[in-house]
Amino acid sequence: MSARLRTIAVLGVVGIGLALSALTLHARDERYTLPGTSEHLMYLRSDRAASRVMLSFKAIAADVYWIRAIQHYGRERKEGGRFDLLQPLLDLTTTLDPRFNIAYRFGAIFLSMDPPNGPGRADQAIALLKKGLDANPARWQYAHDIGFIYYWYTTDKDSAAQWFEQAARMPGAPSWIRPLAATTLVEGGNRAGARAMLFELRNSEEKYVRDAAERSLSQLTALDDLDALNLLLAQYAARHDGTYPASLIELMHASGYPQLPLDPARVPYAYDPASHTVSVSPQSPLNPMPKGFRPK
Amino acid sequence: MTLRRIGTVALHVFKETVRDRVLYAIAAFALLLVAASVLIGQITAGQDVKIIKDLGLATIELAGILITVFIGVGLVAREIERRSIFSLLAKPLPRWEFVVGKYAGLVLTVAVNIAAMTVALYLMLAWMNWTSPVNVQRSWDAPAVDPRLLISVLLIFAEMALLTAIALFFSTFSSSALWSVVFTLGFFVAGLESEDLRNFGNIVDAPFMAHIVSAIGWIVPAFSAFDVKIQVVHGIHVPAGYVMHTLLYAVLYIIVAIAAAIGVFSRREFK
Amino acid sequence: MATVVRTDHLTKDFSTGFWRPRPLRALDGLSFDIPAGGVFGLLGPNGAGKSTTLKLLVGLLWPTSGRAEILGRPPGDAHAHQRLGFLPENPTFYDHLSAVELLVYFGGLFGLRGADARARAARVLDLVGLDEPSRRRPLRTYSKGMVQRVGLAQALVNDPEFVMLDEPMSGLDPVGRREIRELILRLRDEGRTVLFSSHILSDAELLCSRVGIIAHGRLVATGSVADLASAGDRGQGWEVVVSSLPAGIVDRLGPRVRRSTAIADGRYSLELAADVRPEPIVAELSAAGAMLVSVAPLRTTLEDVFLKALGTPADPGSRTSDGGRP
Repeated sequence: MSARLRTIAVLGVVGIGLALSALTLHARDERYTLPGTSEHLMYLRSDRAASRVMLSFKAIAADVYWIRAIQHYGRERKEGGRFDLLQPLLDLTTTLDPRFNIAYRFGAIFLSMDPPNGPGRADQAIALLKKGLDANPARWQYAHDIGFIYYWYTTDKDSAAQWFEQAARMPGAPSWIRPLAATTLVEGGNRAGARAMLFELRNSEEKYVRDAAERSLSQLTALDDLDALNLLLAQYAARHDGTYPASLIELMHASGYPQLPLDPARVPYAYDPASHTVSVSPQSPLNPMPKGFRPK
Repeated sequence: MTLRRIGTVALHVFKETVRDRVLYAIAAFALLLVAASVLIGQITAGQDVKIIKDLGLATIELAGILITVFIGVGLVAREIERRSIFSLLAKPLPRWEFVVGKYAGLVLTVAVNIAAMTVALYLMLAWMNWTSPVNVQRSWDAPAVDPRLLISVLLIFAEMALLTAIALFFSTFSSSALWSVVFTLGFFVAGLESEDLRNFGNIVDAPFMAHIVSAIGWIVPAFSAFDVKIQVVHGIHVPAGYVMHTLLYAVLYIIVAIAAAIGVFSRREFK
Repeated sequence: MATVVRTDHLTKDFSTGFWRPRPLRALDGLSFDIPAGGVFGLLGPNGAGKSTTLKLLVGLLWPTSGRAEILGRPPGDAHAHQRLGFLPENPTFYDHLSAVELLVYFGGLFGLRGADARARAARVLDLVGLDEPSRRRPLRTYSKGMVQRVGLAQALVNDPEFVMLDEPMSGLDPVGRREIRELILRLRDEGRTVLFSSHILSDAELLCSRVGIIAHGRLVATGSVADLASAGDRGQGWEVVVSSLPAGIVDRLGPRVRRSTAIADGRYSLELAADVRPEPIVAELSAAGAMLVSVAPLRTTLEDVFLKALGTPADPGSRTSDGGRP
């Protein structure tokens, strides 16, 4: 066989072979899912065991588990899962590398998010951030994040205020945290205070934090819109002997507005004529709306 | 004639590796590990069979890797370094037969070693079974002397056959045995994590970088795909189709590596 | 098979290192034939390209341009190798094998099996003079001379038509060298063709029917030893050696003595001009009181041919007397 012919033959075999082999593997993984594979992720069940075994490769191992945490989150979100492994993976990641900043902050945000966007486990998120504080006592951001999670995802405003207070006392904390603690204490659930906090978070270095803050601000705007709509409804009822409009369009025309109101995600608000309540449409991506705040 | 010549080279490789002292070091190491697992088994109640199986399979795999990398890589590289290849290539031995013969010889060595260690593992499991009371046996996920372990052993052998082909490829074009070891180990480690590399695109912003890393993940042999240790140890069923697909993958990739090795070696000059 | 080797403008360049643009030309347009039968010597100083030529013929290197044919086939061809024996320079084999095991292994590659292979191994080891106990010990215990013998044995294990030996005498003591010379002659008498490369001309003179002289990658002379020698300019002539040279005798002898050289022990060698008979010169010398040591006809030696050829860096393929290519 001449040299050139042989080179072509070899390249052909290599190219076709690689393609075929990749296809085979892909076909196998499509056809068969082997049970026990998620255990495979937690190959080392106890994180203490993981630490002992991986010795000097801890940082790399932490990176690997971090990537798996993100993949798990993405997959569960796409397939409507329950995010069972999210907390264990984040726990393992942060045990292997206690300084893994975004694992704490990003992990806490997504642990807090309510279904279907997350497991809705504010308690796990707070536990993770507390673990971060233990390992990195000077990180005021973790204390602030704990406060925020209490504030936004639970009804426990007192704890939120306490944590804001603590964050404000930590070295390097910015000056706007102090008034935040005060506002929370006094008014418990003030949208303006929440807005101020979210504006700060919108300037964070981490993209995930920025996106979450943006979303929450949109939700606050929606709540303000709903307050305005409720006011219009009350005014309508007053003008029409206690009866309520049959649709939002009717309300808008009667109130002198030409257009149907849209929420910040450009989805029309929903109106239930029977109970004469307005709400964010179930189709809107702004759902689920935060627990701690209700339209007035 | 071709088959005879390939067989001659393969047998020569087998004899050479058997006399290689590195082999005995690896065997001793494996034996130590297996003995250690027995000791550990004595300490933890109920999970002892699982630990012996876990460690046993892991040891078989690790020994296979060591043999392949440290003996296999030197196969061709050492012959070129020592120039014993000059008289060999003057014989009526086409270059591709040389490559295939070397491969066959090392795979034979690995097979014999894996077989020996598997027998040892089963003997230990049988002893474990014999000395454990019935109620402890009932608590096990799977029987001690479980033929399903052979599925994992088979896939480990396929994995080693693939690693050998990779080692042989690097051995044919690198001028030094040391670099061949480095490349082979690098490929192996990348292959273990190839699944993560393939999914890299999901978490990285820069698409260009993501494509490159993903491509590496698809090209590098997926060594992690051969791992069914957890399943067989817990007695979870592994479908025959899964095994067949995996073996087919191994065969295809081995052909790729050997073809590439033949391609490179056929063009090599020897000063 | 009339010609065992044919090369046609065989050229080999080596690239020297990463940054240098100009490659090293190891062989430049080599064109020569080796007919079947007899012993062909490929001669040249170290680094001339002898080993490169042999490696190109065996298929260890690829030519940059030009062609080569060995036993009528391209280099590296398995059919050609079936009838070829090759001994590389400073050979190394497999330390863990014994000589017998090595020969059985190689024999297996030729198609020899079992008892046949072992019998052939034994015969060939007898031929090269490796004794019984040694041949069963691993090669790592062998001296250089023993390794050289094993090398020869593996080159002969397939009863080859054509044997190529690269510097076969290297590392051998005088006894070993004589044995190898006798072996080569024996191979020739058995009808095989032998090609060997060397920088030791005396061996070539004793063994070769034809030689090719390579210098700086070029073929500067090729032909039979006799023809090359006769083309030299020593021509016919006589040499007279005397024990002493009385003063003035050289002047008196005049142009009839071409050159006088002092050699060892106070003796002198007088080269007579062409066509000058030695008898009158001897008479005159004796009359002057010189003592005669020897009278002998002058021969152009291979060394003369060699040095002359090296001194003139000719065009590729020039300076042939017979059988070379223009």
